[in-house]
Amino acid sequence: MLEVRNISKSFYRKEALNDVSMKVNKGEIFGLLGPNGAGKTTLIRIINRIIEPDEGSIRFDGDIMTANDLTRIGYLPEERGLYRNMTVESQAMFLGRLRGFSKRDVQTKIDYWFDRFEINDWRKKRIEELSKGMAQKVQFICTVLHEPKLLILDEPFSGFDPINVELIKQELIEMRAAGKTVILSSHNMKSVEEICDRVALIHESRKVTEGSISELQMERKSGLYAVRFRGNMIAFVNALWTGFEVVDKDILGDDRFVVRVKMRGDNSFEDLLKVLIGQVQIEAAWEVLPSMQDVFIDIVQPVDSAE
Amino acid sequence: MLIAIREWKERVLSRSFLLFSILGPLVVLGLVYLLFAYGGQAKQSWNVLIADPSGVLKGRILVDEDINIKYSFADGYIEMEEFRDAKKYQQFDALFEVNEKVVSNKVGHVFYRESPSVRMQTRVQFNVERRLEEVMVDQFTDFSIQDYRKIKQPLNLAFHDVNDPNDEASDLRAWVGLFYGVIIFIFIFLFGMTILRSVSREKSNRIVEVLLASVSPNQMMLGKIVGVGLSAMLQFLIWLLIIAGGLYLMRETLFPDMLNAANMNIPELSNQVANPSYSEQYFSAYEYNQFVELVYNKVNFSKLLPFFLLFFVGGYFFYGALFAAIGATMGSESDGQQFVLPLVFLICLAVYSGYYVLNYPESTLSAVLHYLPFTSPVVVMVNLAPEYPAGHEYELYLSLLVLLMSAFAMLGIAARLYKNGILQFGHRVRLKHILKWLKRT
Repeated sequence: MLEVRNISKSFYRKEALNDVSMKVNKGEIFGLLGPNGAGKTTLIRIINRIIEPDEGSIRFDGDIMTANDLTRIGYLPEERGLYRNMTVESQAMFLGRLRGFSKRDVQTKIDYWFDRFEINDWRKKRIEELSKGMAQKVQFICTVLHEPKLLILDEPFSGFDPINVELIKQELIEMRAAGKTVILSSHNMKSVEEICDRVALIHESRKVTEGSISELQMERKSGLYAVRFRGNMIAFVNALWTGFEVVDKDILGDDRFVVRVKMRGDNSFEDLLKVLIGQVQIEAAWEVLPSMQDVFIDIVQPVDSAE
Repeated sequence: MLIAIREWKERVLSRSFLLFSILGPLVVLGLVYLLFAYGGQAKQSWNVLIADPSGVLKGRILVDEDINIKYSFADGYIEMEEFRDAKKYQQFDALFEVNEKVVSNKVGHVFYRESPSVRMQTRVQFNVERRLEEVMVDQFTDFSIQDYRKIKQPLNLAFHDVNDPNDEASDLRAWVGLFYGVIIFIFIFLFGMTILRSVSREKSNRIVEVLLASVSPNQMMLGKIVGVGLSAMLQFLIWLLIIAGGLYLMRETLFPDMLNAANMNIPELSNQVANPSYSEQYFSAYEYNQFVELVYNKVNFSKLLPFFLLFFVGGYFFYGALFAAIGATMGSESDGQQFVLPLVFLICLAVYSGYYVLNYPESTLSAVLHYLPFTSPVVVMVNLAPEYPAGHEYELYLSLLVLLMSAFAMLGIAARLYKNGILQFGHRVRLKHILKWLKRT
């Protein structure tokens, strides 16, 4: 769907992006992660042709991207806003028509989306009369009004209230189901983990890693397993003996626990289960994968400490 | 185009636009009316007290009494403070102090309570001068005053330009040109500021990035300039219609006699000015009729207006681009003020250059100002109102060409600044940045 090839960009002497390449597949939600100032917004602006790269190219549906492709992209920038003195409807009409659609087409879409978000009563209200959360809804509608094939959202969860964040998440998931592609940049790792299929991590102007969420988690798993059981904690610890190490535990009830365990030596998950069976009543056991937050910190921190 | 339409709608549908469109020309009309009425207000009367302790004027001032000015004579000397404060003198508008030296040093002083019109001043001077003439003739010659008047022929020396013997290029018409030039700059300034505010508001709204994802910065800037410009044009048309309509109505109803040609035969009037009864007509007719005639007859509007519009458009684009660029480079709205100041200065300078050219039309600097895009809209208006001398019309077109080309160049420069500045938020503008942005393509 979208291919970024060897993009570099500097502002004066400051390097914003250095040889960044990545590929976004059709019908996936792609997360663009990275700490502040890593170059995410610059990359997004380059994809939207707001700024030009010093080097590299962008391909859209297999061809070099042109200005015409912009009509198939919906963009919600991090620095977002609306004309405060325009009415909700005329605002949506204006932005829809700017994307090259006829008045009638835009009107049909407006009717559809206003119904869907249940904001028909606000049509004639001016933006300045709306609450922040309401304005955010309008903003989102304006972004997807022209039914873009590719939706690019820069920090969509920052500044939006939790209800709208949930609403937008659901919309994004539905759009993916409808075969649309979404790129979003975010700090909110929990949301990223929940909805993204694949992510790329940008740090200090370079792409550090790219892959599916589970791939990244698997790469960074630390041999940690969790066991939920009913029984005596002392019996559990005794059973482990020296082959395993208890990392931490959650107490669920009088005799119910979740314990995270690390293997010692060549011991495997199977060995763990073997020593426990008969000692406690195992309810569940699973491999603990690092959260995206952990993955993020794991990738970013070593680079920082190397400096 | 959509940007232009949105911009246009936002301006046109605002309440202030309506207010300014209708009140503006009404105020202008009101001023014109005042000028007419003030000029025509010949019946304004004055009560002058003459203190003539040495009896130079012999207690008399006019053979025929002036119907607008009543002269009374006081005995002895009156202090200015006394005249100002004493109750018995309150009925008098002015005090004319005559001392015995007036015959030799020819200086008299008039103290007034309320500033008199120029015409009133001229009239008092005329009356006193004539009376003094009588006294002098009587005192120093053997002539009778009638004989003296026969000898003394008033002579109006008319100076004519060999290239313009009919005095078509009169100063007054250049003043009309200046007026139009100033109008151009008022509109440029007002709507330039509108562009600037609109750009900086889009920045502070943060809507600009949403827009930039659909249109290029150049289109955005141009759309904005065109949209605001169209609303300026509309407003201007409304102004024009109301003022033209108003002037027409005034001419038909309020001042029909002013355009009576007989009233304005100035050479004839001045020939007969020796006759005191004509003096009055002369003074009253001269001043305001010139103005009326100027507005209605003298200026070749059919030629002035098209070029006015062309230079208006050229100048507007030239300055509009500048304002847009400034708006885009501003970090915050207040930050831009320091950059607006030089522009205001520039505009004042342009208006002043019009005044300069009016006074020194032949100077080299005037020729330079005529082509300089910063000043040409007003300077050309000043030159155009009295019309270009034959064979020099090309200068007009040349200046227009220079202006339009500079406007294009300015749009290019502004587009660069706009493109690089528009996505910078909350920074402090430094000249260094601007130079960098200019270098960057």
